[in-house]
Amino acid sequence: MSGIKATRDTNKRSGRLEGYSLGAAYDEMFSPDGATRPNYQLLRERIRTLSREELADRQQTLERSFLLQGITFTVYGAESATEQIIPTDLFPRIIAAPDWAKIESGLTQRLLALNLFLADIYGAQSILSDGVVPRDLVLGAPSYRRQMQHLFVPHSAYVNVCGSDLIRGEDGDFYVLEDNLRVPSGVSYMLANREASRRTFPGTFRQAGVRGVERYPDLLLATLKSMAGDRRGNPQVVVLTPGVHNSAYYEHAYLARLMGVPLVEGRDLAVHDNRVFMRTTDGVRPVDVIYRRVDDDFVDPLIFRRDSSLGVAGLFNAYRSGHVAICNAPGTGIADDKAVYAYVPAIIRYYLGEDTILPNVETFLCREPTQLDHVLANLDKFVVKAVGASGGYGMLVGPHASAEERAEFALALKADPENYIAQPTIQLSTAPCLVDGRMEPRHVDLRPFILSGEKVVVTPGALTRVALKRGSLVVNSSQGGGSKDTWVLADGDAQLAETTL
Amino acid sequence: MMLARVADSLYWIGRHLERAEHISRISTVMLNATLDRADLAAQAAQLALAALGDAEPERAVLPVDSARALVLDRENEGSVVTSLASARENARQVRDQITTEVWERLNLLYLRVTDAKAKRAFNVDAPGFLHGVIADLHLVTGAADATMSHGEGWRFMQAGVHIERAKLIAHLLKVRFNQTPAPILDDHLALVCLLRMACALEPYLRVYTADVTARHILEFLLFNEDFPRSIRFSTARIEEHLNHLARGRGGQGAEPARLAGRLNARLAFAVVEDVEATGADVLLTTVDRECSAIDQTLYDTFIAYPLESRLPA
Repeated sequence: MSGIKATRDTNKRSGRLEGYSLGAAYDEMFSPDGATRPNYQLLRERIRTLSREELADRQQTLERSFLLQGITFTVYGAESATEQIIPTDLFPRIIAAPDWAKIESGLTQRLLALNLFLADIYGAQSILSDGVVPRDLVLGAPSYRRQMQHLFVPHSAYVNVCGSDLIRGEDGDFYVLEDNLRVPSGVSYMLANREASRRTFPGTFRQAGVRGVERYPDLLLATLKSMAGDRRGNPQVVVLTPGVHNSAYYEHAYLARLMGVPLVEGRDLAVHDNRVFMRTTDGVRPVDVIYRRVDDDFVDPLIFRRDSSLGVAGLFNAYRSGHVAICNAPGTGIADDKAVYAYVPAIIRYYLGEDTILPNVETFLCREPTQLDHVLANLDKFVVKAVGASGGYGMLVGPHASAEERAEFALALKADPENYIAQPTIQLSTAPCLVDGRMEPRHVDLRPFILSGEKVVVTPGALTRVALKRGSLVVNSSQGGGSKDTWVLADGDAQLAETTL
Repeated sequence: MMLARVADSLYWIGRHLERAEHISRISTVMLNATLDRADLAAQAAQLALAALGDAEPERAVLPVDSARALVLDRENEGSVVTSLASARENARQVRDQITTEVWERLNLLYLRVTDAKAKRAFNVDAPGFLHGVIADLHLVTGAADATMSHGEGWRFMQAGVHIERAKLIAHLLKVRFNQTPAPILDDHLALVCLLRMACALEPYLRVYTADVTARHILEFLLFNEDFPRSIRFSTARIEEHLNHLARGRGGQGAEPARLAGRLNARLAFAVVEDVEATGADVLLTTVDRECSAIDQTLYDTFIAYPLESRLPA
C-alpha cells in the first residue's frame, strides 16, 4: 500500500509525526495531503509541545487511574483469573459538529423505525403482510420471541438502550455496521474515558468546546422510569446483573451507583402473585422497572432457558401481566439480526416515509439466488457472516482466506444460503494512537448510545474502539482491542445553548 | 432498607478488614521479637501462633517463615492476603454501595499485597511491609468513616468489625489466661508482647503506668470503656449498631439486639476479681460463643429469612 507521509506538514521541529503513514483508509486527524483537519487543530498543537517522555507519563497515569478505579475485565487463565484493564489510548478521537449532527439525526431516525418495526412484528405484522420484509425471515428466526406477541410496551419503546456500531468509510461518510439492541455495553468506558481525558488534556478540552456526556446516568434513569407507565408515582428501578463474574460487571455496578438504584442479581428477586420483589434487610420490596443486563435467554428459566440460574422464575409472567417493566424488552434481538439489517432502509421508509440518513454497509442476502451467485463469484472480496452467529464464528474473511478455505465455505454457503449474508471488506477509518511513544494510525469504530423511552435521546459522545494491532480491523476488547475518549465538538450556537441550560 | 445480599457483603467486609489488621499486627510483634534472644523470640512466636489458633510448636522456631505464611500465603484461608482478597471481592459485589474513596483505598491495598513484588518487599523488610499494610488499612476504615453515610450499610460493616474484634481479642487473652497456661520463660516480656498484639501498650501505660501486671491487663482488655480494642468497647458498639438496625421494624431484628444487649451487660457489670475467681477463660469462652450466636441470628433475621414469612398477603 502506498502511504502518503504526513511530513509535509509545517512542523519540522517535531520528529514524532514522521512515519505517520496515511493508508487508503480515511484518517480522522489528517487529510490525504497531510494537513491537520480543523477539528484536530487544537489537540495537534498541544501534542507538539509535549516530549516523548511527557506523553509516556500521561499514558501511564491514565492506565493507573483505570487500574485503581477497578475498571477491569476478567481474563480466565489456566490457573487463576486475572483482572486486566482495557487498553486505553491517550489521544481523544474528535468529531466535528456537522458530522455529529448527521449521526444524531440518523440514529434517532433508525431507532424510531426499529421500535415501530418491533411493535409491528409483535403486533399486527403489517410490514410482513405488505411483503416489505419476508415473513419467514422474521418468524423463523430464533431471536423472534413468540411470547412477546400482543404484549403492551409503553411508548412502543422496545429498545430503551441502543449501542449501534458505526464506521467511517474511505469516502469519509459514516455507516451503520450493526445495531446492538439486546444488552449493549461500553457506556461506562465512555464515561470513564471522559473522566480521564479531561485530566490528560485539560486546557485543550476546555478550549475545544467539547459537549458533555455526564448526564447519561440521569437520562438513563428518566428513560427507565418512563417505562413504568403510570403504575406508581416514584417507580423502584433496579439493575439486574448476572453477577461479579460477568465481564461487564464493572459497568453494571457503575451505572447502578450513578443512578442511585440497587444492583440486584437473580437470587435477590422473587416473584409472588405476578409481582416482583427484592429481598431487603427489611423484608421484601416491590420492584417496578428492571434494567436487565442479562440476555433474553436467561431472564426467566420458566419461559426461556431452563438451566439458567441468572434470572428469576416467573419474571416473564409478571412482565406479561404489566406489573413490571423489563428494559430492553425481551425479543429485541430480531431487529438486530444480520439478515433483518439489510432491510432497515426499507423499514425506515415503510414506517417514517423518509430516506435513510445514515446508510447501511452494502449487504448481500445469500437467500436471494441472484445475490448468492454474485457472492459466490466474488468470494475473495467479501466478508461472509452466518446470520445467527456472533463473535466471529461461522465467518469467512474472503481476502484473508486461502483458496481451499473459500472452496470449503462455498459448499456450506450453497447448502444453507438462508443462513448467510455477505458484505464487502471495509477499511475502517484510522485515528492517531500512542504506540511505543509514537503517534501511529490505528483503525477505529464508533459506538454512540441512544436512549429511548418517552423520547429518544442521543448522548453527544461515544465509545471509540481501537484495533491496537497495526493494520488490524478487529476492535473487540476480547481480541486485543482498546478504546479512547470521543470528543463531540459543539458548534458555536449549540455550545451557547448548553451552557445556559 | 437495603438488599439483604448487600448487607451481608458489607458485614463481611468489616470482618475481613479487622482480621487482616489483627494478623498483620500479631505478625509484626512476632517479627520484632526475633531481635531478642532466640528462646524469648520463640516464646513470642508461640504466643502469636496460639492466638491465631495455630498451636504447632515447631512452627514457632521459624518466626519469619510463619509470618510470611500468615501474611502472603494465598492457600491459607486466614492469611492477610486472603482476608484482603475476600474483603475486596465483597466490596466489588457491592461496588454501588460503598463510596469511591473506600473502594480506591481497598483496591490499592489489595493490589499492593497481591503484586508480584510483594514477596520481595516482605523479604527485604517485613516489619516495614506490615507497617504499610496496617497504615493502609487505617486509610480504608478512615475513608469508610469519613465518606460513607453512617446508615444501615455502615452499621452492618461496623457490626462485622466489632464481632470479629471481640472474638480475636478473646482468643488472644485466652492464650495467657486459661486454666493451664503454657510455661513461660519471662512473664514480663510475654505480657508486654500481649499488649502489643492488642495494639494496647501505649494506652495501657497511660492508665496503669509502667506497672505491667496480668490482672491489670485482663481488666484493661476486658473492661475498659474507652480503649477501642477492649472487649467491652466492642460489645458496646455491637449493641449500639444492632439496636439501630432493629429500630422501626416492628419486632423484626429484636433477637440480635437482645443477644448483643445481654453480652454487653455481662461485661458492663462484671469486675476483674470475680473473673479471676472463676477463671478468665469462662468469660472469654462465653464472649466467643455469644459473638458466634449473634452472627448467626443476624444472618437468619436480616439476610436469609424465609421469603414466605414476608410476602404480602
